[in-house]
Amino acid sequence: MSRESASADAGPETTSLSRLLAALSDRAWLLLGILVAVGALLPTLGLSGFYLTVVVQMYIFAVLALSWDLVGGQTGYPSFGNMAFFGFGAYTTAILLKDWGVEFFPAVLVAGPIAVGFALVIGLAVLRLRGGYFAIATLGVLLVSIQVTRNVEFTGGASGKILFDIPPENTFYYVFLAILAVETAVALYLTRTRFGYVLNAIRDDEGRATAMGINTTYYKTAAWMLSALFTGWVGGAWGAFNTFVDPQTAYNLGWNVELITMALIGGAGTVAGPILGAFGLTLAIFVVDTVFPGWQLVALGLVIVATVLLLPDGIVGTLEERATAMEYYEMGGEAAAETTSEMGGEAAAEETADATDHDMGDPEVSDS
Amino acid sequence: MAVTQFVVNGLLVGALFAAVAVGFALIWGVVGIINLAHGELLMLGGYVTYWLVAFAGGSGGEGSVWIALATVPVALAALYVVGYLLQRLVVTHVTDADLFLTLLVTFGVSIVLQQLAIQAWSATPRSVGAGFADPSVVLAGVFIPKIKLIAFVGAIALTLLLWGYLKTTRRGRAIRAVAQNPEAARLVGIDVAHTRAVTFGLSAAIAGGAGSFVAMILSVQPQMGLAYTLKSFVIVVFGGLGSIPGALVGGLLLGSVEELTAGFVGSQWTLAVSFSLLVVLLLVKPSGLFGRSVEEGEG
Repeated sequence: MSRESASADAGPETTSLSRLLAALSDRAWLLLGILVAVGALLPTLGLSGFYLTVVVQMYIFAVLALSWDLVGGQTGYPSFGNMAFFGFGAYTTAILLKDWGVEFFPAVLVAGPIAVGFALVIGLAVLRLRGGYFAIATLGVLLVSIQVTRNVEFTGGASGKILFDIPPENTFYYVFLAILAVETAVALYLTRTRFGYVLNAIRDDEGRATAMGINTTYYKTAAWMLSALFTGWVGGAWGAFNTFVDPQTAYNLGWNVELITMALIGGAGTVAGPILGAFGLTLAIFVVDTVFPGWQLVALGLVIVATVLLLPDGIVGTLEERATAMEYYEMGGEAAAETTSEMGGEAAAEETADATDHDMGDPEVSDS
Repeated sequence: MAVTQFVVNGLLVGALFAAVAVGFALIWGVVGIINLAHGELLMLGGYVTYWLVAFAGGSGGEGSVWIALATVPVALAALYVVGYLLQRLVVTHVTDADLFLTLLVTFGVSIVLQQLAIQAWSATPRSVGAGFADPSVVLAGVFIPKIKLIAFVGAIALTLLLWGYLKTTRRGRAIRAVAQNPEAARLVGIDVAHTRAVTFGLSAAIAGGAGSFVAMILSVQPQMGLAYTLKSFVIVVFGGLGSIPGALVGGLLLGSVEELTAGFVGSQWTLAVSFSLLVVLLLVKPSGLFGRSVEEGEG
C-alpha cells in the first residue's frame, strides 16, 4: 500500500476505520515482522500434519496471488498465464533434484532465475499487447507450456517425475514462509518507491506515462520478471513438496484462476489484499472440499462471479473507499480532497481507474 | 496426395470452428465482452444432441443420422435460452466494467458449467454412435466421410443464416446499431438490454448448433470448451473482429493448419502450433487480415 496517509494527523474527528487502516499502513513493516515471527513460531507451538499442510497451502497461494498482483493489479496487465512460471520452477527443481543430483536448496534457488529467463523471452512478445489480447495471449502461453512439457522427453512427458529424498515437512514450511516474507517486503518497499508509482501510472494511463518520458517497456518487463522470480521459487519448492510433478498439476489452469480471484477478492493493486484474499479463499476451498468433496471448483466459479458482481474493488479496496468516504463526510470537502491528493499511488489511482476502463479494452498494441 | 487429404479434413472441421468463432465475434462486437464461457456453450449443445439421440435409442445405423440432425434445432433453441439468461442475469452487470472483470466473470461461468457437466455426465468423452461415420464419398482419391460433409454444410448454413438475419431483419439492424453505438441506438428507441440479450442468445445458439455437429463427428466431454474458446479467439483475431467472411476463412484456415500439423508433426502439437501462430499474428498484424480494425469493433 502506497499510502503515506494524511489521516493520522487529521485530528480526532477521523473515523476509527480510516485511522485503523492508516495506522496499519504506517506500521506495515512492524506488522510484517510480527506476522512473520508468529508464523515462524507456529510449528513449535504444535502445528503439524494436516493443519500444517493447510497453512503451507495458504503461503503458496499468497505468494502466487501477490506475484500476479505485481503485474495484474499494480501494472494493470491481467495475466492468465502466471502458472507457466510456476510450472517452469517446479520442473527446474524436479530435473535438478532427480536427474542432476543437485541438493534441495540450490535446486529451489535456481528455479527462480530460470523462470525469470523464460519470463523475459515471453514478456518481450506478450507485453506489447493490452487488455483482452494480453490476457488471452498469456493463457495461450500457459497452454502451450503444458503441451510442450507433455511432449518432450526430459520432462518425463505426460507421466511426470516422482521425487524422493525430500526434506522434512517443517523445512518446507519455513521455505514457503521465507519466500512469502521476502516477497511481501519487496512489494511493500517497491510500492513506496518511484518503481511502484510508475507501475500504477502504467495501469492508469500508459500513453501518458510514455509521453512523460518513462520507458514503460522497461518497468513492465521488470515487474513481469519480478513476478516470475517469486512464482518460480514457490513453484520450485512446491515441486519437491508435492514429491511429484506432471504437466496437469504443475501448470494448473484452475490455480491460475484461483490466484487471480484471491488477488481480486482481497483487493488488487494493494500488498495486503492479495495475501488476505489468498489466506481466506484457500481456507474456504479447504472447507468446501471437506464438506462437499468434488464441488470446490463449482464453488470457486460462483465465488468469482459473486466477487466481481458485488465487490469489484476487493475487500481492502472497498474498506479504503469507505474510509475515504467517511472522512469526506466528517471533515468536509476540502480536507478530504487534500487527503486524496496526498494518498499518492493506489487509492487515488483507483478512483481514476473507472475513467480508464475503456483503455483496458483497447486491443491496440502498445507502443513499445 | 496426403496433403490434399489433410487439407480437406481441415476444411471440413474448419467450418465448425468458423461457426463457433462467428458467435464469439458477435458477442465481442455487440456486447463488448470476450466470452470465455463460449466453448462451454458448444459443449452444452453437444450434450443436448448426445442425450436426445441416446433417449431416441438411435446410436448407430443409417436412420440415426436423421435423429441426430433433428436434435440440432433443439440444441439451437435450448442454447438460445441459456445465452439469453446468461446475458440478463450475469453479463449485463459487467458490460460497462473493466474488461479484465468481464474475462474473470465469464471464466467463472465457464468453470461452473464445466464442473456441473462433470457432475452430471462424468468426464468420460461421449459421442453419437460412430455407425454413420461411413460410408465415405471418394472424390479424386480424397476420402470424405458423409457425416463430416453433413456437418460442414450444416455449419456453413448456420453461419449464413446468422449473417442473413443480421443483414435483413429489423432485429438484425438493431443488433448492428447497438454494436456501433449503444447510446445512439438507445436514443432512437432500441431496447439495448433486450437486444444484447438476444445477441447473446444467438451467439450461444450457433455455438450449441456447432456443438451438435461436433458430437456427431468427434466427441463431447465437459472439459472440451476452453480449446474451442481459444480457437475462436485465434480465428477472430485472424479474420478481424466483426467480419463474418473473415471468420469463415479464418476457421477453414485454422482447421487446415491443425490437420496438417496433426498429419505431419503429430496431433499432440496442434494447440502449440496454432497458438504460436496467434501470438506471431497479434504482433505482426493486430487488426486481422479482413474487415475493419479490431479497435473500431470495440465500440
